[in-house]
Amino acid sequence: MPDMSKMKKPDVKVVLLGDMNVGKTSLLHRYMERKFKDTVSTVGGAFFLKQWGPYNISIWDTAGREQFHGLGSMYCRGAAAVILTYDVTNWQSLAELEERFLSLTDTANHDCIYAIVGNKADLTDSKAHLSRDSDGQSENQTECEEGRTEPEVLSACPTPPASPASLSGLMLHKQVTREDAVALYGRILRYKGLEEKSSLPAEKMCFETSAKTGYNVDALFEALFDLVLPSILRKRHENQESPTVDLEECRGVSGKKARSSCC
Amino acid sequence: MSVKAFELVPAVERDLLMGDKARINIECIECCGKHLYVGTNDCFIHHFLLDEVTSSKGKLSYSAQKLLHKYLGLKKPVAELRAASALERLIVLCDGIVFLVDMVTLETVPSAAGGGAKIRGVTAFCINENPVNGDPFCVEMGVLSSKRRTVQIYMVYEDRVQLVKDVTTPEQPCAISLDGYFLCLALTTQYMILNYNTGASQDLFPYNSEERRPIVKRISREEFLLAAPGGLGMFANAEGVSQRAPVNWSESVIGAAVCFPYVVALDESFITIHSMLDQQLKQTLSFRDGHILQDFEGKVILASTKSVYVLVPLPLERQIQDLLASHRVEEALILTEGAQRNIPKDKFQILRKRILQQAGFIHFGQLQFLEAKEHFRKGQLDVRELISLYPLLLPASSSFTRCHPPLHEFADLNHLAQGDQEKVLRCKKFLITYLGEVRSTEVVNGCREDVDTALLKLYAEQDHDSLLDLLASDNACVLADSIPWLEKYHKYFALGLLYHYNGQDAAALQLWIRVVDGDLQDTTRSDLYEYIVDFLCSSSLDLIWKYADWALRKDPTIGVHVFTKRPVSKDQPELNPDDVISYLGKHSKALLLYMEHLVLERRIQKEKFHTHLAVLYLEKVLSLLSQTPIDKEQLTKARERLQALLRESNLYRVQFLLGKMENCEELLLERATLYGKLEEHDKALHILVHKLRDFPSAEAFCLWASSCRDSAYQQQLFHLLLGVYLDGNLPGTAAGSGDGDLEMAAVDLLNRHGEVFDAVRVLRMLPEGWSLQLLRPFLNRAVRASMHACRTSQIALGLAHSENLQLLHDRLKERKKPIFVSEKKGCHLCHNTFSEPGVVCLPGGVPVHTHCVAQRVRDSPTKRQLTNSSNHT
Repeated sequence: MPDMSKMKKPDVKVVLLGDMNVGKTSLLHRYMERKFKDTVSTVGGAFFLKQWGPYNISIWDTAGREQFHGLGSMYCRGAAAVILTYDVTNWQSLAELEERFLSLTDTANHDCIYAIVGNKADLTDSKAHLSRDSDGQSENQTECEEGRTEPEVLSACPTPPASPASLSGLMLHKQVTREDAVALYGRILRYKGLEEKSSLPAEKMCFETSAKTGYNVDALFEALFDLVLPSILRKRHENQESPTVDLEECRGVSGKKARSSCC
Repeated sequence: MSVKAFELVPAVERDLLMGDKARINIECIECCGKHLYVGTNDCFIHHFLLDEVTSSKGKLSYSAQKLLHKYLGLKKPVAELRAASALERLIVLCDGIVFLVDMVTLETVPSAAGGGAKIRGVTAFCINENPVNGDPFCVEMGVLSSKRRTVQIYMVYEDRVQLVKDVTTPEQPCAISLDGYFLCLALTTQYMILNYNTGASQDLFPYNSEERRPIVKRISREEFLLAAPGGLGMFANAEGVSQRAPVNWSESVIGAAVCFPYVVALDESFITIHSMLDQQLKQTLSFRDGHILQDFEGKVILASTKSVYVLVPLPLERQIQDLLASHRVEEALILTEGAQRNIPKDKFQILRKRILQQAGFIHFGQLQFLEAKEHFRKGQLDVRELISLYPLLLPASSSFTRCHPPLHEFADLNHLAQGDQEKVLRCKKFLITYLGEVRSTEVVNGCREDVDTALLKLYAEQDHDSLLDLLASDNACVLADSIPWLEKYHKYFALGLLYHYNGQDAAALQLWIRVVDGDLQDTTRSDLYEYIVDFLCSSSLDLIWKYADWALRKDPTIGVHVFTKRPVSKDQPELNPDDVISYLGKHSKALLLYMEHLVLERRIQKEKFHTHLAVLYLEKVLSLLSQTPIDKEQLTKARERLQALLRESNLYRVQFLLGKMENCEELLLERATLYGKLEEHDKALHILVHKLRDFPSAEAFCLWASSCRDSAYQQQLFHLLLGVYLDGNLPGTAAGSGDGDLEMAAVDLLNRHGEVFDAVRVLRMLPEGWSLQLLRPFLNRAVRASMHACRTSQIALGLAHSENLQLLHDRLKERKKPIFVSEKKGCHLCHNTFSEPGVVCLPGGVPVHTHCVAQRVRDSPTKRQLTNSSNHT
């Protein structure tokens, strides 16, 4: 999309982290372009700008491959929200979040919020077939029925579908339950040295989504955006208190201030 | 995939540099304005003057003129060269030593007294392009030395270098870039940013510098481009944050530079060009033995081991056009947006619009109308560009010519659709929606006529419902151009509307009348005749007189609406009723309707009209009566109407009408009504009772005739009627058989309307022989009414009396003050005190003894009035 927003400076940063093949790029595509389409393994990283009310939110899609692991902490630097993504059909992908990806978030903002997202819920859960995002999803679904090619390691060449069960409509075994994700969330808070009581509750921050059907995708991003708003406001506030004199702003308030301060 | 963004142009050929000496290679280059310096592995510096030459075809080439070459005398390769043009010095790294040479003579600059001009043990250095020192005759330089884990910051002057800072690094640095206070370093295992002023550091990401050659390239203020694991080109700013997505290079990148909006990178055999806007690889150029890629003041220069090339960017506009030519609309638009900062604002706006329009036409050609529309809208397309694709849609009067160079490759719609009629149809449908949407916006300013005419033609051709809406509302359709088109598609009704819109009502009517008469075929409106009549209602008088006859002949009932339904408004002259009446002389049915309209609807109070209408009604009745056999139903209706008018109206000439029906025995009821109007009630009642023997009508007559009079008048009428009934009883007046009827009628009348009569008078009139039983209801009511009246008047009397008393009391209270009587007061007459409350008051409120007054009255017999004593206590 050619969009002037590409040129705008983002107010806040959201980063998607997770092992390769869990569907980070697909989630972002589903949200931004309302489609589920073939993706190839992300190289390095990519980002999108989302206009959210008056704010610009940059959403970074990172590469899950080990090779690019070192770049993660750079992407996370200054992040206001991190979406830790795993694959509900793959236990290891949840374990990786804790083992490899959690430490990358050390560079994020101190008040960064964390969401734990189990993607590919459509493979294990029939309710995820009923998308909660209504727009244009029915036609995509048919088109994508055979289109789920999982980006495999390296290469842009077509890869065999990682989950043949989805073709036959069979449900796959769900390896990661929501309780596992909630438990992980608790451990993350402990890792960050955060009080469970003063932090956002796990029920609010653990999602199960399907990029393929769109299930819960909008809900995830919109919930996060609403939660990072205070972070945006704080950032703007800090900028206002910077030693730089903003002439535009001074002109705006000078009248009032001058009057109130002179007597 | 590919865009042609750059062209590789040779600058210095091999024979200019080393001729046929095979072992001599280029080691480094520096370019400063037109001056190109080349350092070689045999310790020479070559100085060239590089001139741009543009051929007549616009092709760019370079001509290099060798000015000088100089042997530095170290027998080692010249590792790096940097120009400090303000100082007229070249900073040279050769054999681990940094020293200065004169830019013109290439002579080594001797050390000044008190400061060295040489630095030893150097592996790499860089110049700060964003210097922190304000002195323009001083260059800041960051230096890496071979042995120590430090970075040294030097100030370079014309004839000396001065160490200003020594910064320790955690590992051995192997590549450096400098911006302001920020050092961007490649260490052995990672990249980092170091602020040499504050000492703050920021790790970027791990990188094995021994395995792969690191790249640290400053690309703009506080932003660097770094070679990352996996062959990535990563962006990082001074805060250690990546603000752009990485680009995907090969693993063996040697050098990289940014030439907005592209990232150019060199590896062993290719130059790759990625867009910073979408991270996509845009162009690959084969380049053997690539060795150096550097940018100098925006100019990208490459060197193989033997020769030097310039990578010349093609104008962005041309790149965008190339993209569009290969239908890569999205990329073209991204590049356009990206070009914003390279092109002046006003020029950019024009370019952007044009690109959007072209993009729109590409989508249009692929029948992707949604996208096309969006681009047309954003690009503020002159709608006529689109209309002109459709043959014959633009009016002949249009001054439009397509823009040049053309926005698209299509001659017209047929060319685009290649004869596929379904495609043509889809395109037409799109244009209909598109024009419908834009015609009310400012986009069509200045070409409203063209747009509306085109829309009209499309609507007509596609038999679209909105044709009539268009014509009925504000529009700018060109009449001359639309006529043949609408005729072609038999849209005569629509054409009439257009005539009307253009003030040619006569033409519109002529056309429509031909449709109604069947000369022309147009089924748009099945009720076209009614429409015409409606239309005539509000037309000019000329048109009415011209076409009223046609309308009336077609259907007098509806045709007369021309006259009757004419809206009352100030702008239109009113019809003169007399003119209309005389005009309608030959249309009797219409005339009747018109008269009814005048009298009954508009309620015009004119004797002439009322009489005329009454006469028309009467004539109608008479003509029905003269028919054989008589149509009873019609006759009843006609008579009812006549009777109603005769009853309701007070304006018609009664005698005149009476004369007209004098001889007609059938219309007795009407005659009775007329007598009633003349207040000749006895005649009327006589007809009703004796001729018609219609007693209910007689009663109704009495009620009607007295309806707006007082009760005395009504009583008089009823008595009259009773009289007529009873007179009939007199012997010899009527046939014996009817006597009973009249008697019964009288009884019924009394029993029904008893309250109207004066009972006493009635009783006097009634024959002696009538039984009480017969008149019981009447008598009951009469007695009741009389009792009621009596009691009501008694109550009224009592009330009046009490009111009177009350008033008297009030009056006394107002007028008189209390009179005090006490044992101490004396009587005015006898001067004795009072012993009893009973006293008499003399006028003036003077109390005296009763007996004294009595005495006095007795004494003066003239004053009797004082005997009425009253008590006041």
